[in-house]
Amino acid sequence: MPVQPSDPAAGAPRSAGAQIVHDAVDDGLLAESLAMTEAVSAGDEGKRRKGKPLGLGAKLALAWMAFVIAIALLSKFGILTWGDAQESVARCARKGPFADEGGASGYLLGCDSNGRNMAARLALGGWTSMLVATGAIALGFMVGGSLGLVAGYFGGKVDSVLTGMFNVLLSVPSVIMALALVAFLQGSPSEAATSGLPPELILIIAIGVVAIPLVGRITRASALSWSQREFVLAARAQGAKNGRVMVREVLPNVLPAMFSISLLGIAVAIVAEGTLSILGVGVKPPTPSWGNIIALDRGNLFKSPHIVFEASILIFITVLSLNYLGDVIRARFDVREGAL
Amino acid sequence: MGHSHRHASRRRWLRFGAAIATLGMVSVAFAGIGGASTDGRRAQQKGGGDLTFGLEAETTNYCLSRAQLAISGIQVVAAIYDTLTVPNSKGEAVPYLAKSLEPNADFTEWTIGLRDGIKFHNGEVLDAAAVKLNLDAFRGADGAPNSGPLFKVVLGFISDVTVVDPLTVKVTTKVPVANFGGYLFSTGRAGIMAPEQINAGEDCSTKMIGTGPFMLDQYLQNEKTVVKKNPDYWQKGYPKADSITFIPVVDGAVRVNQLQGGQLDVLHTSSAQQIDTLNGLGSSTATLLKQKPGVREIRYYVLLTKNAPFDDPGAREAFATALDKNKINQIRNKGLFDVANGNMDVAAPGYLKNAGYPKYSVKKAKALASAYKASSGGDFNVVLGTTTDPENSAEAQLMKSELAKAGISAEIAQFDQATLINEALAGSIDVLLWRNLHGGYTNTSDTDNYPWWSNADTGNFINFSQFNDDATQAALDAGRGESDPAKVKKDYTDFNKAMAAGNYIVPMWYVDWTIASVPSVKVNLPKLPDGAGKPLFVYGRIPVLGLSKS
Amino acid sequence: MSSDLIRLVAKRIAQLVVVLLIVSFFTFLLVRLLPGDPTNVIIPFGTDAQRAALRADLGLDKSFLGQYWSYLTGLLRGDFGTQYSSGRPVADLVNQSLPVSLQLMIYAQIFALFFAIPLGIFTAYRNGTRSDNALNTSAFALLALPNFVLALLLSFFVGAQLKWLPTGGYAPGWLDGFFDSSRSPDIGEHIRFMILPAITLSVGQIAVYMRLLRSDMIATLQENFITMAKAKGISNRRILWRHALRPSSLTLLTVAGLNVGTLIGGAVVVEVIYQIPGMGLKIFQAINAREYVELQSYIVVIATLFVLINFFVDFLYSVLDPRIRRARAAV
Repeated sequence: MPVQPSDPAAGAPRSAGAQIVHDAVDDGLLAESLAMTEAVSAGDEGKRRKGKPLGLGAKLALAWMAFVIAIALLSKFGILTWGDAQESVARCARKGPFADEGGASGYLLGCDSNGRNMAARLALGGWTSMLVATGAIALGFMVGGSLGLVAGYFGGKVDSVLTGMFNVLLSVPSVIMALALVAFLQGSPSEAATSGLPPELILIIAIGVVAIPLVGRITRASALSWSQREFVLAARAQGAKNGRVMVREVLPNVLPAMFSISLLGIAVAIVAEGTLSILGVGVKPPTPSWGNIIALDRGNLFKSPHIVFEASILIFITVLSLNYLGDVIRARFDVREGAL
Repeated sequence: MGHSHRHASRRRWLRFGAAIATLGMVSVAFAGIGGASTDGRRAQQKGGGDLTFGLEAETTNYCLSRAQLAISGIQVVAAIYDTLTVPNSKGEAVPYLAKSLEPNADFTEWTIGLRDGIKFHNGEVLDAAAVKLNLDAFRGADGAPNSGPLFKVVLGFISDVTVVDPLTVKVTTKVPVANFGGYLFSTGRAGIMAPEQINAGEDCSTKMIGTGPFMLDQYLQNEKTVVKKNPDYWQKGYPKADSITFIPVVDGAVRVNQLQGGQLDVLHTSSAQQIDTLNGLGSSTATLLKQKPGVREIRYYVLLTKNAPFDDPGAREAFATALDKNKINQIRNKGLFDVANGNMDVAAPGYLKNAGYPKYSVKKAKALASAYKASSGGDFNVVLGTTTDPENSAEAQLMKSELAKAGISAEIAQFDQATLINEALAGSIDVLLWRNLHGGYTNTSDTDNYPWWSNADTGNFINFSQFNDDATQAALDAGRGESDPAKVKKDYTDFNKAMAAGNYIVPMWYVDWTIASVPSVKVNLPKLPDGAGKPLFVYGRIPVLGLSKS
Repeated sequence: MSSDLIRLVAKRIAQLVVVLLIVSFFTFLLVRLLPGDPTNVIIPFGTDAQRAALRADLGLDKSFLGQYWSYLTGLLRGDFGTQYSSGRPVADLVNQSLPVSLQLMIYAQIFALFFAIPLGIFTAYRNGTRSDNALNTSAFALLALPNFVLALLLSFFVGAQLKWLPTGGYAPGWLDGFFDSSRSPDIGEHIRFMILPAITLSVGQIAVYMRLLRSDMIATLQENFITMAKAKGISNRRILWRHALRPSSLTLLTVAGLNVGTLIGGAVVVEVIYQIPGMGLKIFQAINAREYVELQSYIVVIATLFVLINFFVDFLYSVLDPRIRRARAAV
């Protein structure tokens, strides 16, 4: 049994981040991303933002996300595509927006090495990257969240088995796990080319599975503390069914924490897709994603740096915004107070 | 653990940490000037210097008789091994490690004479027995150790190898082979290994022992292969360099970055985009060698004829007609390469300006594609197979979008190089993005074409297209026994036309292999022994014995 | 050592064995499910009969559990199998690549802690001020910078353009010789090669560590003994570094310790971009080349290290914090 968060032995006040880490350490395992999640939220210790108006940073982050999502949706559904994302134009190949040789005129952000419109590819790539990231995190939260909830609520043997499972999954570094999963799900590349699962779905599953144990652990920690609260114990004592108590009493309290973490998760997943693209197993070209745009033209930094820069900047600002919003939501919902 | 003890240990750790940190900062500070000091140190060295050579791939198997060497492996082989023959500047395969090579009247018996006194790096003597052991391993004679299937097909025409005396070997062939000498070079793959290596079982793959200008010093897979000067090399005054460190740097752009950053002294590249980058670097790099028109490799797409859709000639024609070679060359290569007119380069006897390959026309391609769809009652889907390299990926993406305009839908499958070859052999991809040398001078047309294009039903699995064509086979057979240049020209011209008529491949452009270096590297090649002329730069293979760094 | 600790150690070792068994089993299973036939890698042109013989030779004709058993017993004897394409023992390859990743990890951690600790202390001390906000925002920015972007940019600008440091590659350091006696260290070159990759890996960690330390430090600074120390007139610097740092650093040390496992083999993309022949690069190559025996051995090695390191961190944690030791021993 882990140290209970309310254990008086825990003594000195400690931040919730530290507390969850503390709790997780009790089982001997913790992964990088979990630490990262905690670190992001740990920074706001002591601030109570509940009810306060949104700060400038949060407004900017929100505006950026709205902008990116709008562009991605408009592009995906062909309402405003910024041009053809697949057509190759020889005169524009490798030329940046400020190319002095001419040729890139009419192309807002220049072209990639195949002469394809960067603006169109980045917009459509935004859709793919966010689809994969959101899908993966949704999968991770559904499976990992449910398992974590069950583990935290029931405790005992159920908890031991599930926690053990999370630990086993966590003992293989996440990138390697994702790489192996993609290889497995794709089957032989030539099979993958003609049959099998859609490539984006493969990535969603691979990144999602990697997220399961992380989400599972966080949810478990939160569910564990809520399951010890009087109103939950009372409901159980009154003979309410476990499933009902879990869903009606524990879940709603665990959800805000999960929501704020999910934004951070999406940010991590966007980067993960990029990483897999660099390793050659990301979103399958010619479908653009921010990651595979960088991967394809990383060799052209000398002559055509705009390609890598444009996609990198989009990833950077988007990840920054998501991290910031996750942090703000966490503070507003006062997740920490609740979890304790 | 007492309190004071803990205190002390903490202090120790803090001190340790501070020391490490200081070390780190100092090293960062020094790093800035480190490059200059390293160069200075190197400049003071006497002799031919230590070179680093960036290769485009790692090779895991150097057991030459069963290896599948690509250019990178061939480059290392050129350092450690010698071949019995090499091509001279006229494209003739002339004796090199061998002293003489004489055929009988009808080209069915070849007598190889050896040089006296040549020793392998381990002290074993290069004699007739050693050469027979090699040739038997290469051709896969019964019971020969470490033979492999690739050379077994290539050298399948050899019926026997016999030792005549300690310095003479006789090779008997099943059919007349007028240019057997070309096979003893096999684009640099047929290096002669020491008996100790051939007999080493599995270890043969990395226990490299040859007679070459350099000896193996260290092989660290995926990291580096270090070779050092062979002081007893049989060509006096060579090699020039003291050592060469071959480093596999798969990413072409990274290779150029490393040359620019001074980590590599020499690199090879066949990427027009990287050649363009190198040209843009100005005087900080120099081009050592550039492949000239004549024996350039050719970029082409192999259409697999074993399965639908490309078992149908109309489908092959549709595919070939749908690709705008000029546009693809313009985008992918900035137009730096020449569009290819066939599977042979301009110096080859069979070269034709117009061999009859289809001309680009979307309209015609569309019509042909719909005709195919109608006749097969289905779709026109193809799988494009290539490596994971970003430039290949980009090329395949470009093909896909061009093919779509003609109503042909393509999917892209990417593999690492070795797996790509295996997949091609297994017949699981329809279009193989490929690069190979079929240029051929008069004397090597047979070697450069027969193994790759003889009919699949003769057991030739490296005919990746897997076609069977009476016309191509007849031309290849005729050319094989021919020594009269005029007749050779006719045979390979026929072959070229038959290849074009079959649309088994789509030739795209000639690849200008470039070997670039930092300015201090020089190349000074020895003349070929026995007055055989100058050596030929072929297949992007540079004879490394002539490299030096001042 | 108290009996608490002995019990804890015994419990941990039992857990360790179970986790390793499960990890090796699932790795073995996953690897068997990956596409491609190993005989294709070894003898791509082989006939069916040759393939069948080879399968028997490799033990691939045995039942799944039979194969797992012989793999497991092989592992216990230190036999990691052989690489298909070259026939070389995988153990050699592990001995070459493991120290590379270990050193990279150590440097990345040193870099990260070297910058994170002072920054964490400073921002906690200046909690809520403009400099705190600025540093926090910077940390956020660092967190949002993907490893691969940083690696590409550093390698290109610092390596190729400025020529200050190598763009990639490796030279053996102080640890390689312990694993593979054929490698002699070249410390100067080694450090030059490792600086950029270590910076790349540590940048994200600096942000993580700094924020973790800051948050714990803020809590510590509100405690009575700090107030008391202030009342006694002890200097701020001394209070921060001597009194407050240690009780605040447990979380940080824990996370840093746990990161050790993740950074070995988890640094795939950094090793790939910088061409560092560590575990990450080898794993990437093994997956691409379908070298499955090699792959499963790497994964088992990394998982074992990961579990061992966590075990060690946990142990250390218990030693450092008596409250946890008590609580755990009571279970």
